[in-house]
Amino acid sequence: MTPEEQKAFEDKIYAFKGRKVCEATPAKDPVNATMIRHWAEAMGDTNPAYTNTEWAEKSARGKTIAPPAMLYVWNQQGITAASERASNAQSELVQLFNDYGFTGVLGTNVKQEYFKEAAPGDQVFMEMVIDNISERKNTARGAGYFHETVATFSNQSGEKLGTQSFRVLKFIPQDQPAAAAADDARLEVPTRIPSPRGHDNGWWWEAVDKGKVMIQRCSNCQTLRHPPRPMCGECQSMEWDSVESKLDGEVLSHTELHHPKIPGYQYPLVCAVIKLGEGTNIVSNVVGCEPSDVHIGMRVKGKVEQVDEKNMLPQFYPA
Amino acid sequence: MSDYKTLRFADVNLGDKLPALEIPITAALVVGGALATRDYEPVHHDKSAAQAAGLPDVFMNILTSQGLMTRFATDWSGPEAVVKSLDIKLGAPNLPGMVMTVTGEVTALDKSNGVVDVAVQGENNIWGMHMQGTVQLALPEAG
Amino acid sequence: MVANIKDKAVIAGVANTKFSKDSGVSELSLAAQAIKGACDDAGIHPSEIDGMATFTMDTNDEIEVARALGCGGLTFWGRSHYGGGAATGSLHQAVMAVSTGMAECVAVFRALNGRSGHRFSSGVSGAITTADAIHWGWYMPYGLLTPASWVAMFTQRWMKLTGISKDAFYEVAHATREYAVNNPNAAFYGRSFDRAEYDAARKIADPLQLFDCCQETDGGSAIIVTTPERARDMKKPGVAVRGIAQASAPDQEQMTSFYREEFAAIPEMEIAAKNVYEMSGLTPDDVDAAVIYDAFSPIVLWQIEAWNFCGFGESGDFVLDGALRPGGRLPCNTHGGQLSEAYIHGVNGIVEATRLVRGESLNQPKKNIEHALVTSGVGIPTGGAILGKLD
Ligand SMILES: [Zn+2]
Repeated sequence: MTPEEQKAFEDKIYAFKGRKVCEATPAKDPVNATMIRHWAEAMGDTNPAYTNTEWAEKSARGKTIAPPAMLYVWNQQGITAASERASNAQSELVQLFNDYGFTGVLGTNVKQEYFKEAAPGDQVFMEMVIDNISERKNTARGAGYFHETVATFSNQSGEKLGTQSFRVLKFIPQDQPAAAAADDARLEVPTRIPSPRGHDNGWWWEAVDKGKVMIQRCSNCQTLRHPPRPMCGECQSMEWDSVESKLDGEVLSHTELHHPKIPGYQYPLVCAVIKLGEGTNIVSNVVGCEPSDVHIGMRVKGKVEQVDEKNMLPQFYPA
Repeated sequence: MSDYKTLRFADVNLGDKLPALEIPITAALVVGGALATRDYEPVHHDKSAAQAAGLPDVFMNILTSQGLMTRFATDWSGPEAVVKSLDIKLGAPNLPGMVMTVTGEVTALDKSNGVVDVAVQGENNIWGMHMQGTVQLALPEAG
Repeated sequence: MVANIKDKAVIAGVANTKFSKDSGVSELSLAAQAIKGACDDAGIHPSEIDGMATFTMDTNDEIEVARALGCGGLTFWGRSHYGGGAATGSLHQAVMAVSTGMAECVAVFRALNGRSGHRFSSGVSGAITTADAIHWGWYMPYGLLTPASWVAMFTQRWMKLTGISKDAFYEVAHATREYAVNNPNAAFYGRSFDRAEYDAARKIADPLQLFDCCQETDGGSAIIVTTPERARDMKKPGVAVRGIAQASAPDQEQMTSFYREEFAAIPEMEIAAKNVYEMSGLTPDDVDAAVIYDAFSPIVLWQIEAWNFCGFGESGDFVLDGALRPGGRLPCNTHGGQLSEAYIHGVNGIVEATRLVRGESLNQPKKNIEHALVTSGVGIPTGGAILGKLD
């Protein structure tokens, strides 16, 4: 898109700001116990306020209510084919985005406020407007625009039940790693990023694959070193062997990783620098306790474990 | 009635943690949740449509995420709590085979109206943060 | 003792491009714009440039930059490695070239689409088997793969050793932000924060939270380095490089020197400080203001100690005393730092240190700034320089 084309496109989409998607329209069905039960079963929600009439009649409300999160559900179009739906400002806007290549769609935020609980027998009316359309943004998904609709819900007596604002990103899809994964038609579960293996470190990781954590030792002066490297810094000998660590350790420092969360890693995740009984330090994870229990000076005991489909790693537990 | 307890406003303290809830994401939950919320977008029940959209399998619709977030909050508060609002930011999709762990913490208390803010996050074990947001609950007074 | 090149090279021009989250232009364009700006500041034509110095991480080939600017031929180019450790490292290259006569007019630059292009916060990954990837291999499988996570590991231990709390981190982050509030080119121009917002901000890697971490930026910064003789003929008063040094220390790793006897330390910066003080004949008392590399708030504190503005473990009290503020002992990161102006790998810091000595900072302290310190990133091989008025 040239800047001129973009301007022309934006003029078109911004014209939708403030346009009504629908006037207050009644839902196809009144609030009813059957749809509430289906919803509660699907969500695994056993709240008696929704489905236990006996309890509800004795409760302060005196009756069952609809789950508040169903507010928008009542006015959903259902299985009606999109082609049979009447066109409205929202569908026109979506079409416009699609025509210009912004075919990706991603709901990013929903906010609902509830003013009055709906109960079986109530009729829900929904009115919706296109509230806002953002400037062009470059997102992780691709270039696009956020647009926001605001819906107002009321009942048969004209009382306001609640509101909803819904923010959607329309974007030009980029090649995503997920798309590549879809090619082989199965869910490729991400794993931790393994270390590449070269001349100087491959042997160490191969030992980990066999369940052992080794420490490199100079054959000449017996100095231990980690991470492995080709020459002894003490005596410059290139001859070396290795000893197996007992994995008794002490935490020298630690950090709990919060952000970003990397695919393939399980959070909460604590990394630590651990001083091994043999005298060298190693970086690893501390597991088997609350992250807040990890502290400097903590004694830990390691073992090599299969951490995911592809990786064996030493992991340390409270000793 | 005694089977169902509801927290009183006075029982709740800032920083209280809600019991974590582990939700295995199954195809039944994804598809069942979509249909129970009358959401027939193909990406939520048709794997080939989901793959055409760049994901390996069908994925959870937003209305189900909203339902699970309020369920998590009212499981903790008890049935007499009134849900006042739900503000949710969506992240990585939930797909069958994943497990979402939902955690929450009390982040604000408004004595004037008995409203408690609960910050909630749901993270799946593969792609991380699925949803985060706030549920506001009005709790009954003492007694 | 390192060779003494005190006052043999002078900064004659500096410039930043506009900083943004999405420049919409190539990194080459940013480099050319920054250098052109620095040439204008010095009052020279790009064809007078005969040398270039930048980072190994910079994607711009010197010859491409030269063609874009119409520089003509070059007689010197050199690059410095180790991320932000190269900030004063690239200046060091230029100063050596000028003081030995290998070039007369060297452009130091760094230009990156650090936000819209490759983002450092996305972490390292192990797609290729290089020495670098093998190094990260000791950390990646455990999830320790972002700059924040490596710094967090040092910080946690350093806090335990010194008893310094997040009060001091807040003071660093907040003092820096207050400077950015006055800087229209800063990402956080006009946007302050308070302690409650700081404490409530997203957790990154304990103990670091969002406001302890720098941003990611699209932009470029450049500096023209020349001889004292030529500088005297240029538009603006020259700013002499009084002392400059690069340093790594034993058992150095890139961000992960966890294998030292005591790893909550930055011995490489202590070496750089000692050598810069020795070369310049100056002491901490002679330094009036500073631009201290601030990819993360705690690393400012470590460097205050390494440069001997106070003793080990005393930097908390030092900053809580208001030292970094406009009227304090050591007004610091007066452009808003990398925390709040822009993350141009520390080269925007050299621009600001030059402006401080010239008296041109947007937040120019009231006192006379005879000498300003500028440092490179830490946790890596690093360096620093003291700039002063050209006699
Ligand atoms: Zn040896």
